[in-house]
Amino acid sequence: MTTTRRLRNPAPSTVSAILRSAAPRAEPLGRRLRQLLESRLTEVLPTLHGVRHRIDGFTVERDGPGFTTPFAWNARAARRAIGSAAARSVTAGTESDAMTAARAEIDRLCDRALRGLVRRGSLGAWLSGEPEAARALCAVEAATWASGLLHLVEHDGGGVSLGVADAWFDVPGIGLTLHGRRDAVAQSTSQSGGERLGVLRLRDGIPGARATDGLVVDALVDALSAPQRPLPARVIGAWPDAGMCLVVEVDDEAMRHAARVVVACAQRLAEHTEAIAIQPVAA
Amino acid sequence: MSVVAPPAPDDLLSVLRGTPALRPAVDRGLAGGLRAWLEDGIFERLGTPSDVRLTSRSIAGEPVRAGATALLRGALLRQLVRLKVASAPVRDPFDDASCALSASGRDDDLVATLVDLDPDEHARLAAEVEAHAAVLDEALPAVPARWSPRCGMRQAIPLAGGGVELRGVVDVALGAPGSSRACVCLLEVTTSTLEDRHDAVLSYLALLETLRSGESPLRVAALSTADGSFRVHDVTPELLGDAVERVLCALDTAPAT
Repeated sequence: MTTTRRLRNPAPSTVSAILRSAAPRAEPLGRRLRQLLESRLTEVLPTLHGVRHRIDGFTVERDGPGFTTPFAWNARAARRAIGSAAARSVTAGTESDAMTAARAEIDRLCDRALRGLVRRGSLGAWLSGEPEAARALCAVEAATWASGLLHLVEHDGGGVSLGVADAWFDVPGIGLTLHGRRDAVAQSTSQSGGERLGVLRLRDGIPGARATDGLVVDALVDALSAPQRPLPARVIGAWPDAGMCLVVEVDDEAMRHAARVVVACAQRLAEHTEAIAIQPVAA
Repeated sequence: MSVVAPPAPDDLLSVLRGTPALRPAVDRGLAGGLRAWLEDGIFERLGTPSDVRLTSRSIAGEPVRAGATALLRGALLRQLVRLKVASAPVRDPFDDASCALSASGRDDDLVATLVDLDPDEHARLAAEVEAHAAVLDEALPAVPARWSPRCGMRQAIPLAGGGVELRGVVDVALGAPGSSRACVCLLEVTTSTLEDRHDAVLSYLALLETLRSGESPLRVAALSTADGSFRVHDVTPELLGDAVERVLCALDTAPAT
């Protein structure tokens, strides 16, 4: 049974304090659980060689494929990638506000595309081929997203990094990638960097019945992606539309539960092979 | 204070934002009281409901489905508002709005409707959007980026253990929450002329924002791109109380989703 707390309208200082609060024991994910998970996933998805699949918190909460149509860039899909970079620029003091930062990030991506520095199908390639109106819309969507993050977490005092890279883990040999979302992480203050701190993830709408499952899967992938790093102390799921946060404490039981959830989801994916298509990785 | 103003260029934002020194202090206990009031009212009326969803439309008593052209016009105007907030130059309002709508990744049905319009409907809609865009341009001044503008801000408030869900979308929100004085302003943009139902929507959105963020907004405003008129209301406990009553009344007639 995972320990979950529900917070309504938490102050940014509260969210940051929860993120930064270290857990007492700092241990990485157990090797046995990792091996068991890999072998169970290999059993469940043996026939899918040559096809790539992805499981993330969203897939788990939906209990199956998250999207049934092929991926295509649009302002909604681009907002998090651009918004994360914008939030980073604001916290770093490079830009004064989210809108200016989002516009600057779009200009940077387009510039890289024009200089031939991006791959085909990337966000930069798409943006550079779109008219000005579409790029402006992307800036607004991204600034709105970045503002949600900036208003949620206290970032002036340091100790929290916003707009960090997501966690990824390729399960060897079966073409399955696990994806863990991370929108903010607490920075370690110890010299060894070995503290167990928190991870925060933003989501639209209101928390669903399986929101906790999605959060523990994010924590599991975070742990799988960096085998030497201690487990995150907790995962905070934030739903700014509803003004709610769920805080899930991460312990061995939570990781075992996450592994079971991932295997069950992979089973579902295998059962619906025809309905699933590879989701290209969004930045 | 409530202001009902005739068409007045470059005045809306200054009325909406007001003088910073005169802004009221945030009452952080208000949201909890409003939530308790709603929870009690829901229990009295519906017991333990499931799958009841209210939106701005249900609060305003509007039909759930408006005509496709009216929906398209509204959606295109919302894109123009976003372009304005982004300080993007708009050369051809209809083309730019259509381009933004197609790239938005939302409203796929409306994009399909737009593509399927026959030449007459297309020309009529383009002319309408152009006329509304001209009014918008006059009535809504440039929004400074330092006001932290957010567009299409969604609100989703679960009540009664998730059995009732209050949903809303704010066209433009300005000001960052979290300070000791109220400074968040909400702006609704409509293509119709302003009526009492817009006041109902404004108070509903103010209530949702209070429940969502834990602090009530400073002011709410509605701008009509039909004639450039706007209404601005201070968000007071009375206005929020009216919104609670409206929600509870709407629940009496709301069908389960």
